[in-house]
Amino acid sequence: MKLEELRQIRERVQDELRLRGGSARVRIVVGMGTSGIAAGARQVLRAILDEVSRRELGDVVVGQTGEKGLASHEPVVEVYEGDRVTVYGGVDTDLARRIVSEHVVNGRPLEEHVLEVREVDG
Amino acid sequence: MIADLCMHLADLVQNSIRAGARWVEVAVERDGDMLRLGVADDGGGLTADGRRRACDPFYTSKPGQRTGLGLPLLCQTAEQVGGTFSLEQRDEGGTWVTAELPWAHPDRPPLGNPTDTLLPLIVTSDGVEFTVRLRHDHALWELDTREIRAELGEVPLTHGEVLSFLEEQFRDGLELTGFKEEA
Repeated sequence: MKLEELRQIRERVQDELRLRGGSARVRIVVGMGTSGIAAGARQVLRAILDEVSRRELGDVVVGQTGEKGLASHEPVVEVYEGDRVTVYGGVDTDLARRIVSEHVVNGRPLEEHVLEVREVDG
Repeated sequence: MIADLCMHLADLVQNSIRAGARWVEVAVERDGDMLRLGVADDGGGLTADGRRRACDPFYTSKPGQRTGLGLPLLCQTAEQVGGTFSLEQRDEGGTWVTAELPWAHPDRPPLGNPTDTLLPLIVTSDGVEFTVRLRHDHALWELDTREIRAELGEVPLTHGEVLSFLEEQFRDGLELTGFKEEA
């Protein structure tokens, strides 16, 4: 393990985090329950991580959660922005990448794939 | 559809996380012709009844869900190639699942690609630490997220640069242990 390399990453990235006050602008969460995984949630998660990292989106955090109670719409992806969460259903790797490029980067939600938009406690 | 052994492992990891584990160990070890897959955790574990019925496809410990197929499928895969499966309670608490499969059996599923299947789970499971071990006879590679986090401080594992670093580490490990041609 090249721990020295991690130390260098930390030094570089910490400044970047400090500049934007440490908080993420967007949080993307993939539903990784059994039905989500069966429907391809792992590939979706992988595609999102890849897209976020390729575009160097330092203010986006990616996470996962268990069953969402939306089994028939799996894989489900939620996009949290402030007090609003946009829920996408039937996400494949292609749509996952478009959620990142269109919604997260360009601010244009992909309406035709949105299951619901909710207000949450910011 | 579980097509390769890494997907089985990812399923077991998911079980561990659901059981409230804060630490999960994933091991792929090969001694001669014996391939051993193992997942240990410090989660809530299963009841004695649950452990006995781990291979029963119609049993699930999760209320409201008809079946939990992760364990039975691995059990079945192991049996099909003349291997073994075991699920034990760890003395320290939590569960330890192992499956042994003969490496050279023609029906043994391919190992698959841990970088694609396991790494995304590892970096996005907040509050869960992972030990990953790949070993082929004496060639040993290990990764411990606690060590990595200690170096990274506030920087998340999902950060692009960290992700690239981890992918490279996994590749090195697969190469070192000779599991790579499977990936």
